[in-house]
Amino acid sequence: MTLSAAGAIAAATWPAGDYGSVVKGTMTVQARHPRLLRLTDPPSILGHQCIGCRRVAFPPDPYGCEGCGSLSGDLEEFVLEARGTVRAVATVHRHHQPSPATPFTVAVIELTGGPVIKAIVAGTGVGVGTEVEGVLVQDVEDDVGDILVDLQFRVMA
Amino acid sequence: MNETNLLKDRPVYVVGIGLHRYQRRSDTTYVELGLTAARSALSDAGITWPDVEAAYTGTALLGMGSSRIMLSRLGATGIPMTQVENASASGSSSVAQACLEVASGRSDVVLALGVDKPRGGLGAAPSQAGIENLESGTVVPFTHFALLASEYMHLHGVSAEQVAKVALKNHRNGASNQYAQRQKVRTLDEILAEPISGAMTRLQCCPVGEGAAAVVVASEDGIRRLHLDQSRAVRVAASVTRTEGLYDAGVGIDAALTAETGSAAFHQAGLEPSDVDVLEVHDAFAIEELLYAEALGLCSPGEAASLIESGEFDIGGRCALSPSGGLLAMGHPIGPTGTGQIVEVTRQLRGEAGSRQQRGAQIGLTHMVGIGAVCVVHLLVSE
Repeated sequence: MTLSAAGAIAAATWPAGDYGSVVKGTMTVQARHPRLLRLTDPPSILGHQCIGCRRVAFPPDPYGCEGCGSLSGDLEEFVLEARGTVRAVATVHRHHQPSPATPFTVAVIELTGGPVIKAIVAGTGVGVGTEVEGVLVQDVEDDVGDILVDLQFRVMA
Repeated sequence: MNETNLLKDRPVYVVGIGLHRYQRRSDTTYVELGLTAARSALSDAGITWPDVEAAYTGTALLGMGSSRIMLSRLGATGIPMTQVENASASGSSSVAQACLEVASGRSDVVLALGVDKPRGGLGAAPSQAGIENLESGTVVPFTHFALLASEYMHLHGVSAEQVAKVALKNHRNGASNQYAQRQKVRTLDEILAEPISGAMTRLQCCPVGEGAAAVVVASEDGIRRLHLDQSRAVRVAASVTRTEGLYDAGVGIDAALTAETGSAAFHQAGLEPSDVDVLEVHDAFAIEELLYAEALGLCSPGEAASLIESGEFDIGGRCALSPSGGLLAMGHPIGPTGTGQIVEVTRQLRGEAGSRQQRGAQIGLTHMVGIGAVCVVHLLVSE
């Protein structure tokens, strides 16, 4: 399945619950990156904060803090709002895998919570300075009908 | 930082250079590639293999144990040989290790080689580190740099055509370099065709092929003992390696790391950016040359694009930037690339670069960044 704005799933139809996966009827909806996303409405991004130096980072790290060397046990989950401002944008015309289908648009997004991430922005009208918000997009459906979702962004209304 | 400067206490000179042309992957073995460059460097230095006391091979893609099977074909002298892997900067790091070995006094004459053959994918270790990221798989290097281009163009009001003029210059330089993988003068229209990602088109992305580059470095004792031609020797005034630190969110790591490494190198050499006559930078993607010219202090932030346009960075301009054709035209076979930069700058500082000669060049710089991120800068001086 191609990734597009049309493939976006209304997150509101899902029950809020544990991050990583939620059960919807008999189907499991699983995040492609379960350690990085909370499948809430709206979706949230998971980073970490070091209790030693207070540094907030994304992605969350299983090994230790780059700021002060604290062990991973001192890194606390830090929930980031999936909202931010586009700092840079590029339309990708060549890709080494069939998915996502080209062309697709990737942006550097400065999250309102501080960290800067890169993600696909679905739809049109994105440029430097555009405000964007996270949206869960169906990625693939496996043999037993379970759905894998991933985070993309879209231009805020 | 440790202020001990081994290169000052015991100077190190580049005394021999050699290349195997960078080219598309072929049936030529890496042994053949490496031996061609090594023999050429020995002959250029006017020495024989038994004069060489140690060898470092910069390679990222060959797999373990590449040096001895190759270099023993010059004679199995039993000298210490070590492979050096530092991603795109592997060849630069082989030179850095060779310089350190000579400066430390352990050896008088050391070979630094870079050799590689591309395989499917680069097999970069950071992708196997077990650190998940949202963009994994969708943001490959050309998109990473296309995003930096987007930010740069927006911040400084620079157009895609202006960025493309980096490639226009480097393809022109590469056209007169017999060792370059791409040896064709291109028009701006050709360069702007075939979009890959954002502003980056096919001809604004480097080719990754195969090849080899070799450098012989020696101490003053070595030069005297072997009666080498001191007038063709080029002194290594600085050799600095740094890795990525922690920068503010959103700061471009490649340029920030380059600025730190360049600054440390100028400090080590007692030189200023304005002293540089000729330099080779990691222009794997056209936008990088603008970022690094600014990060190295050659000009102010946002100024590089207009200086490229006005010919200031041409051969014959105020400072020749990527006279070999750079990674964009000479090519980026990974292991050889950083070693090959030393070859080109040495040729320039000797005044032996033919039609690509930057007249009167006395001070040169080489710069590579690599996945990790690492950065290696060398400053070379003809005296």
